[in-house]
Amino acid sequence: MAILSVESLSKSFGGVQALQDVTFCVETGHICGLIGPNGAGKTTLFNLITGFYAPDSGAVHYRGRTLQGLPSHRIVGLGITRTFQNVELFSSMSVLGNVMVGRHVRTRCGFFRAILKTRGARAEEAETRNAALELIRFAGLKGDPEAPAADLPFGWQRLLEIARALASEPSLLLLDEPAAGLNAVETAALGDLITKIRDRGVTVLLVEHDMSLTMRVSDRVVVLDQGRLLAQGAPREIQSDPEVMAAYLGRPKEAGNA
Amino acid sequence: MSGLGGLSVRFRQSGFSVKIPSFLGPSLPYLLFAGAIALVGLWVENFYYLQVLTFIGINTLVALGLNMLMGYAGQISLGHAAFFGIGAYSTAILTVHYGFSPWIGLAGAISIAGLVALVVGLPTLKLSGYYLGMGTLGFGMIVHILFREWTSMTGGASGFVGIPPLSVGNYTFYSPTAYFSLVWGTVLIGVIICRRIIDSRIGRALRSVHDSEAAARAMGIDTHMLKLQVFVLSALFASVAGFLYAHFVTFISPGTFDFLTSVRMVTMVVIGGMASIWGALLGAALLTLLPDWLHTFSEFEMVVYGLILMVVMILLPQGLTRGILDLWEKSKGEDIDIKGESDGDSFR
Repeated sequence: MAILSVESLSKSFGGVQALQDVTFCVETGHICGLIGPNGAGKTTLFNLITGFYAPDSGAVHYRGRTLQGLPSHRIVGLGITRTFQNVELFSSMSVLGNVMVGRHVRTRCGFFRAILKTRGARAEEAETRNAALELIRFAGLKGDPEAPAADLPFGWQRLLEIARALASEPSLLLLDEPAAGLNAVETAALGDLITKIRDRGVTVLLVEHDMSLTMRVSDRVVVLDQGRLLAQGAPREIQSDPEVMAAYLGRPKEAGNA
Repeated sequence: MSGLGGLSVRFRQSGFSVKIPSFLGPSLPYLLFAGAIALVGLWVENFYYLQVLTFIGINTLVALGLNMLMGYAGQISLGHAAFFGIGAYSTAILTVHYGFSPWIGLAGAISIAGLVALVVGLPTLKLSGYYLGMGTLGFGMIVHILFREWTSMTGGASGFVGIPPLSVGNYTFYSPTAYFSLVWGTVLIGVIICRRIIDSRIGRALRSVHDSEAAARAMGIDTHMLKLQVFVLSALFASVAGFLYAHFVTFISPGTFDFLTSVRMVTMVVIGGMASIWGALLGAALLTLLPDWLHTFSEFEMVVYGLILMVVMILLPQGLTRGILDLWEKSKGEDIDIKGESDGDSFR
């Protein structure tokens, strides 16, 4: 069953057609790789799914309901959470604090209960803390959870962003180029983490430039090129798809092709 | 972490936490604060000093609320004197024109200011940066004109006289000491309220909006709603301060609630140090005392005032509290840092 289906989605910015009539599905429990050259429309697609942009036409269905017109914070509440291509941590807060913010949609303490410090509010706070600490361990972050998030090495900041996203208990996790800026060892560990996330029951939509990572962990791969859907299928099919190769490597000359 | 949290962390780092039971740890600064208020209240008998200290308390209350909006949520308001004024005029009108008890006046001040903040905040908080500043500035000016021109209700430019003093049962807060204690008791409650909000889910959400609004939205935080709530909260603090002010001086005039007052309120928060509760106190104290000290410079008063602001902003851009804490830590030398690190390691 598809957890997410994107139906003939289009979006343009001024004269630039960022996405044109894109249709595909993400199956529940899969890791779905989304690849394409720069400017293919991958990040635009993320922004449309998460409600940061509104589409010009088309629709996004999540678990059978349309996400059209929902503000981004409601979409997170429904179970879709994203990370950012350029790490967007809360730099004035600790590692633990960052992940605790991720629990926002799953907790409900408001101004009054915070001021009165009710029993419920304190219990919720302790619960939030424990859940966050568990996720920090799960993501493989070591060291002091009270350390400022901004002091972490870059690779760990990526992991922290994933831990923070997981704290909102998503059913569908959108990762925007999580391996960008990571070295080979870190990338391998990231691959394992993504697989572990799927094994937790979270469907993953992975935008990534690192081909070997995408091909290794994805159950299915969707290829975008210049705003259009180019191909979709199992990683092996995609790797041997002539259209995909052409998009990435350029077309052979007409004469050579004949 | 700054303010109280930072203080208790520092205690822990220097090994004090062994002696302070954990449940007392965070409340220790409150106890010290309450003790300081009591001591000053008992010792200081000079009416003038008590009066100045009371004004500092009233300004601190405004700065505390504004600090939540500016320091934590990262939104500016150049119209907070309006809420201060709404608090003062609401209670004045309700008690003098309608003969209600001042406590009804307080309820009126809070509800009117809250309602106005809600209506004003709904459209303006969609703005950001300079535009939000301009929006709130315009609002402040409109309210100021209202105070001045609605003569039948507010007494117009010549002011509003005969506001009754506060009383509970048979007891009236006549003596400066009594009023000092009332105001600073309210400040203490204000500090606790702010601290509790900051340490909660809401406080984290506020700081996340400040750090990265996009990421805050991606974490499911309704940033617009949150900003609106903090805006209303800060307006409530200002209106309570206005209420206390009106019943303290018993005479109010529009000049007290003009644009310059709004600017002075913002300056209190900035000078004291944003996102710091004790910073609000320090900023309020400084900005209340400064005009008095500067009288010696007579016509150069504004020049000296401006110079002080510039020097503080250039040398201590994070505000006085942060700056002083940094200097203090630096003076204690490197060994503190090393100790802090080793403590961090043993945490795991």
